[in-house]
Parts: sequence; C-alpha cells; structure tokens
Amino acid sequence: MFPDLIVKPLGLKELNKILPSLPKDRKFLSGGTDLVVRANADIENSQCWIDISGLKELRYIKENAKTVLIGSGVKVSDFEDSSIIKKHLPALLSALPQFASPSLRNMATLGGNCANASPSADLACALVSEKADIVLYLKGKKRKMPLKDFFLGLRKTALKKDELIWGFEIPKINHKGVYMKLASRSSFAISKIGLAISADINKEKVEYLSIALASVAPKIITAPKTRAFLKNKKINSEILDEAALIIQKEVSPITDIRSDGEYRRAMSGVLLKKGLKQILVKF
Amino acid sequence: MKNMNILKSEDGLFEIALKINGENKKFKVKNNEFLLDALRRYGYKGAKKGCDSGDCGSCAIMFNGKPVLSCMMPAVTAHGGEIVTIEGIGTIEKPHAIQEAYVEAGAVQCGFCTPGMIIVTKHLLEKKPSPSDEDIKKELDGNLCRCTGYVSQIKAVRIAAKKMKKKGKK
Ligand SMILES: Cc1cc2nc3c(=O)[nH]c(=O)nc-3n(C[C@H](O)[C@H](O)[C@H](O)COP(=O)(O)OP(=O)(O)OC[C@H]3O[C@@H](n4cnc5c(N)ncnc54)[C@H](O)[C@@H]3O)c2cc1C
Ligand code: FES
Ligand code: FES
Repeated sequence: MFPDLIVKPLGLKELNKILPSLPKDRKFLSGGTDLVVRANADIENSQCWIDISGLKELRYIKENAKTVLIGSGVKVSDFEDSSIIKKHLPALLSALPQFASPSLRNMATLGGNCANASPSADLACALVSEKADIVLYLKGKKRKMPLKDFFLGLRKTALKKDELIWGFEIPKINHKGVYMKLASRSSFAISKIGLAISADINKEKVEYLSIALASVAPKIITAPKTRAFLKNKKINSEILDEAALIIQKEVSPITDIRSDGEYRRAMSGVLLKKGLKQILVKF
Repeated sequence: MKNMNILKSEDGLFEIALKINGENKKFKVKNNEFLLDALRRYGYKGAKKGCDSGDCGSCAIMFNGKPVLSCMMPAVTAHGGEIVTIEGIGTIEKPHAIQEAYVEAGAVQCGFCTPGMIIVTKHLLEKKPSPSDEDIKKELDGNLCRCTGYVSQIKAVRIAAKKMKKKGKK
C-alpha cells in the first residue's frame, strides 16, 4: 500500500520545518524504484513518504583536489555523462550500463541503492571498491563513515531515524577499475554475483587493490585476505589461481531463487581472475 | 490545497498540477494510483501497461526531459513536472519523423511496444543525432517487443536519424 500522506519538500529548509509535524512512521522516497515496488507488493507499509526528489541540495557531482563529491539524489543516468566520473571512478563507470535499463537509470538514485542495503546493489558494490565514504545528515548535522561500514546486514544500515544520506566522498586514487556482473540476462536483471575491482597494476605488479562483492553474503563485502595476498605480487597465472582459491573462502553465498551457493562461490574466483586480466589489458 | 508542495489527501484524492504535451493540466488522483493509470484515465492512452513492474518499457513517457517508466511512479510524485507522451510527439495527420520511420521499417506489428520505443528513440536522437547501432541497442535495451525481433526497430531508428537530419527537425 502507498501511504495516505506523501509530502514533497522543495528544499532542505522546508524538509526540516515539516519533519516534526509528520506521522512518526515515515520514509524517504527518492527515485522510488525500490520503495514503490515494495509498497506495491505490500512489504512496505509506512504512513508517510517524504519525496526528496525536489531537494536540489542533494544533486551534485563535484570534485576538489583530492576528492570526488557526489550527492545522494543524483540519478544513475547523470553519471553516464559526467567527465569527473569517467576520469576518476572507473569501477562505478563500468557498473552503470549493467544497472537496470536506460529509463530506470533516469529514475533510480545512488542514495536509494545504498539505503536499500540489498546485498545485490551493483552501484553500492562498485562504490565500496572505490573506497567511498558516505555522508549522513540529521537535524543540521553531518557525519561520515566508510561506505563499507554503513552496511550492517541484509537491508540493515547505520541510518538513524530521519537520517538522510547526503552524499558520498570518494578519494582520487590513480587506478583502473571494472565491475563484473553475472545475471540471467546480460542486463536488466539482479545479479547472481557482482564483483568490483579497483586496482593500480604497474608492470604486472599490484601496487594498489580494492575488491568488493555483491550477492555473496548478507551485505556488500570486501575481500581483505585476497587483497593482502595479491598486494605487491606480480600477476601471473599461478598467482591468479591461488587468489581465486582465497576469495572463494572469503565469500559466504547462499542458494536462492537466482542462483546456487556453490556456483556463486566458484564464480567469485572466476570473476576475480577475469577482472584482473581485464585491468592488466587496460594498462 | 494550501501548500502546493505538500500533497494532502482530501477525500482520498490528491490534486496535482502537470504540464502535459505543452498544456497545463490538473489531475485528481488516488494516493495509490500510478502515473500510468492516471494518464490513461485522463485520456492519454498512448502509454501502455505491458508488465506493470518496470521490466518492459511500454509505459515510457518523458518526464522533465528524460524517459521514465510511468508504471513505477506514484502519480502524486509527478506533481509540478513536465510530461511528454506519445500524443505530444505526433498525430495521425501529422506524424513525427520517428513515427514515419517506424512505419517504413515495419517496426510496428501489434504496436503495443511502439509508443515506449518512440519515446526512448526521441531521447536518443536528441543526445546523439547520428547514433551507431551499438548506441541504438543500448538505448532500446529496456524496451521489450514480443512481435518484431528488434532488427526492424534498429532500422527504424537509423531511418529516423536520417529523416530528422534532412528536416532539421527535433
Ligand atoms: C526493473 C528493476 C530493475 C532493477 N535493476 C537493478 C540493478 O540492475 N542493479 C541494482 O543494484 N538495483 C536494481 N534495481 C533496484 C533499484 O532500482 C535500485 O536499488 C535503485 O538504486 C534505488 O534507488 P531509488 O532512488 O529508486 O530508491 P527508492 O526506491 O526511492 O528508495 C529505496 C530506499 O532507500 C531509502 N532512501 C532513498 N534515498 C535516501 C536518502 N537520500 N537518504 C536516506 N534514505 C534514502 C528509501 O527510504 C527506501 O527505503 C532494479 C529495480 C527495478 C524495479
Ligand atoms: S508497464 Fe512499465 S515497464 Fe512494463
Ligand atoms: S510490435 Fe508488438 S510488442 Fe512490439
């Protein structure tokens, strides 16, 4: 069911003003591509939705000397045209065409993808590998944490009541990146497994590496042991095989309607090898 | 409604203001009504309900300049927005170059997917007047057709691009 009350503040001031007067059982509505589907299926039944698509404060893609800054209300399609994203966030860029369909990308937001805390969230996974921090906003105050720590479990986040995802801050690190997704179709399907790699590989030597995985645990995870193993190693086929075995021990996939747990485990190794090889070619 | 930004339920209905195909309109909509259903109730029957779950693209309309899926949007959230439906693109008497191209290419069989296809085609050609086949495939990615097999749509977009360049028309 949709709630009886849907409000659309057109700025942050207005949001803060009306918030105390709204029913306690309330939720933010951004692109609606998760919330509306859940409401339509009667899984989501709050009394009030606050449509935040009118908050211009949350729609920015900016950069300063060391950081890329992205607002939570930016539509996924806005990234496709951004030179900042193209230049600095290759893993996120690689995830974009694998996310839903063009029309859906005109609706969905990055904030919604993270707040929803689905283990299969493609963009959230890519952003974790990009080492993003998430910026949260409540009653005029902001706080910041690594995006990786924002996810607490299946559909569970560090968000407090009424806390808004303000945006993301991503360090500019010289690297290449890929997002690899296996799904029952090449696009427009929820992942069986997703794997994001951000890496700087110099003369086959891994100088910088960050890995994140989707749909292999109750939340988006990183692979610290695999990363530690590969760091400063020269990539060759034996090393890749060994790394694949390590990552398979780091994931904890389940069997569900989309895929089989053992398949997912095996594919984590395959995608890691494939992804690293793709990055090697890019250098 | 006192505050236009706050959409309150009065007798279960919300009043929303929209600009549709260049005209200012007011719709009274139910709180749990989707934009697609509201549009069709008010006579804009071009947008079609294929899947009702965001998967097929037949309900695509332009919202504030970009294609969106009207089956996924609560009607109230469209308040204050600008909409272009297939009715605003061309008519039977005066079809748009894209519509002519779809007919010429034989890309219209049952026609159910066509309004959505034309909406995304228009958006593509606004961004890229001379798209590659790869661009076309990427843009039509979310629009399913159960009749044609997609080859004719790709041809239609190519023909439309040529026609629009000739006419210098948007
Ligand atoms: C057909 C279809 C295909 C899809 N394909 C994919 C896919 O390929 N990959 C993928 O990852 N996802 C996919 N999704 C899921 C969905 O589109 C994404 O998760 C999307 O990013 C959600 O963003 P939204 O703005 O629509 O969120 P909404 O639905 O508006 O919100 C989702 C949740 O986040 C909360 N929220 C939203 N914004 C904020 C904020 N700024 N601060 C605090 N809380 C907030 C809401 O309260 C709600 O609980 C698909 C969905 C559909 C319907
Ligand atoms: S009816 Fe909207 S996507 Fe199918
Ligand atoms: S022409 Fe029939 S669905 Fe496309």
